[in-house]
Amino acid sequence: MEFLAVGQEMPLMEKLGILANSAKYDVACTSSGVDRKGNGVDMGNCVAAGICHSFSSDGRCISLLKILLTNECIYDCKYCLNRCSNDVPRATFTPDEVCTLTVEFYRRNYIEGLFLSSGILNNPTFTMELIFRTIWLLRKKYRFNGYVHVKAIPGADPELIRRTGFLVDRMSINLELPTAEGLRTLAPNKHRKSILTPMRQIQNGITANKNDLVLYRNAPTFVGGGQATQMIIGATPENDYQILNVAESLYQKFDLKRVFYSAFVNVTGDKQLPALPGGPPLLREHRLYQADWLLRFYGFKASELLDEKRPFFNVMLDPKEDWAVRHLDQFPVEINRAPLEQLLRIPGVGVKSAQRIVAARRSANLTFADLKKIGVVLKRALYFITCGGRMMYPVKLEEDYIVRNLTEKQERIRFGSDGMSYRQMSLFDVGNFGQPVTVTDRIQAAAGQL
Amino acid sequence: MTVYRCKDSLESIFTAIYLAYEEKRNHWDTCINLTDEPVLFAEDVYVEPDQVKMNKVMRSLHRMFGEKDYLSLCMALASRDEGKAQAVYRTVVDGLAMKRKAGHLFDNLANDEVHHAFALARLVGREIGHLREFVRFRELENGVLCSDIEPENNVVAFLMPHFSDRLPQENFMICDGRRGIFAIHPAGRQWYLFYGEEGQGPLPFKESAQEQAYQELFKYFCHKIAIEERKNPKLQRNMLPLRFRKNMTEFLQNE
Repeated sequence: MEFLAVGQEMPLMEKLGILANSAKYDVACTSSGVDRKGNGVDMGNCVAAGICHSFSSDGRCISLLKILLTNECIYDCKYCLNRCSNDVPRATFTPDEVCTLTVEFYRRNYIEGLFLSSGILNNPTFTMELIFRTIWLLRKKYRFNGYVHVKAIPGADPELIRRTGFLVDRMSINLELPTAEGLRTLAPNKHRKSILTPMRQIQNGITANKNDLVLYRNAPTFVGGGQATQMIIGATPENDYQILNVAESLYQKFDLKRVFYSAFVNVTGDKQLPALPGGPPLLREHRLYQADWLLRFYGFKASELLDEKRPFFNVMLDPKEDWAVRHLDQFPVEINRAPLEQLLRIPGVGVKSAQRIVAARRSANLTFADLKKIGVVLKRALYFITCGGRMMYPVKLEEDYIVRNLTEKQERIRFGSDGMSYRQMSLFDVGNFGQPVTVTDRIQAAAGQL
Repeated sequence: MTVYRCKDSLESIFTAIYLAYEEKRNHWDTCINLTDEPVLFAEDVYVEPDQVKMNKVMRSLHRMFGEKDYLSLCMALASRDEGKAQAVYRTVVDGLAMKRKAGHLFDNLANDEVHHAFALARLVGREIGHLREFVRFRELENGVLCSDIEPENNVVAFLMPHFSDRLPQENFMICDGRRGIFAIHPAGRQWYLFYGEEGQGPLPFKESAQEQAYQELFKYFCHKIAIEERKNPKLQRNMLPLRFRKNMTEFLQNE
């Protein structure tokens, strides 16, 4: 590795280790949202769906080269590994190192692009300028045309954020904690206002740029992949209802592409943070993501899923099942007639299957077997649907009964080996009937004991 | 009953579809078979692959059903399933009979054959998607990027448009070790396929001087980016099936 070492500094390997380790708690790192063909000369293109190139041992995708430019930081946020009062090894990449790593990894199809964040070095504007220079170098000198995602540093000069926006595909500013009080206690150097101001600036920039692109086809794109943010879940006492409401208003008022939720991992051991003996709140994070999808693709509202009286998600049922069970007056839904919006609200029916149902029922009357082919998860959906006016099995439309069947594994209706059969149990299914008759049985039968 | 006997190639299967229409067969009493399995009371027709007929069929399918559905048909034909030719044939018959518009060829999923073709296309599409992610190039001594894959279906040709768009100025090749197909992309020019011998292992080329260093860097990165508290190997296996790992840099053990 000697040849990769730069001058008297620490070897590249060590730097990469430190700065990847510092960046790993940032979750806003998909490579989606931009569809850009290669230009035939420079290296790189982008695919709208995003491409995950690998999966680490925690099951999260490795899509972008996720690193910090530096993990030196002047801030002292209580939850952060890189807080200035934490004694960890510090390192800083030079812009050329970041570019070389990105380009060489990209050529080998290891990564989809670069995710660059940074600790605050000197002051926000200085840090933002470092990021801008690095990305400029990557785009102009190394001619990299792949996906680039950078963090906008709250409090940095707006002009720098604007210029960086023209070079990157996605920008994000972390909201960190859902409420202003939480932010005040755990991140004393960050303020709600300083986070939302650049977020608004980027939103306005994207809108203005869209109008420009209509007029001038070759105008440069500003943050084509939209902006994202992340919230830490479980470090402060906010409930799910608050978090979901914040997410909803971010989608509506700030036009965010994604809100990410990061289950809190206590890495600093600060006394103001919860201890979490059972590990990070992964189930809670999962439920929030499920609800997030319901908000974005299924036409749900936050107020439908939760309210002030029940501010947390059901642990046993997913948010859609939970909603359906509480609104049994709207079920069962007739598959062959219901409009798309209603199909989307059935547990076990996703966006794809709902669209396929709508397409397929034009040519045929759908049965339960067809639904299975289409990809509907019948074990969840069967309580809520009818095909041609019939339910799959005689099912009671009762809250208790459905919840019991949706949750307890033993109670669930068992599917036959072919996946579709459900035989009525008969008297002869009782276990003892299958066994051969023994001598004792005969004697007992003859003696009238049996 | 008429049975068209084909080879496992686009050319052969599309020619058979052309013949079925040209000879005005009853489509419900005709099938296309890739095997030599005899069928009772059937008239066997051995299909001679014909490039002109193939092109005609491809052009009309493309025109009538649109780019996306046409590609799906081709993907279904790239699968290793033996019933693929019949499924695609019936799907085309259904599409033409019902005068389906572009993008609606696979709407009638209640039809078994259409569903079969749809499922095959989806399966192959998934493998293409996986390989787009999991192909790993290594740099050889002469600067050529080389990748070995062993896909279950014949998908190399579907991978190349993506990579040649992405790395236009690189010399690279992808080798399908299982079928002995090499897809080669010379820098700045059109890619092409080269058919070698089946069942050959990774190519014994020497790697460039810095290749090992970048492989180590990436392995280290993958190791460092994982959060220990969230460890979840089952999820990892779900997302990245084990069969892909033997050709992936980050999972290779050092000798």
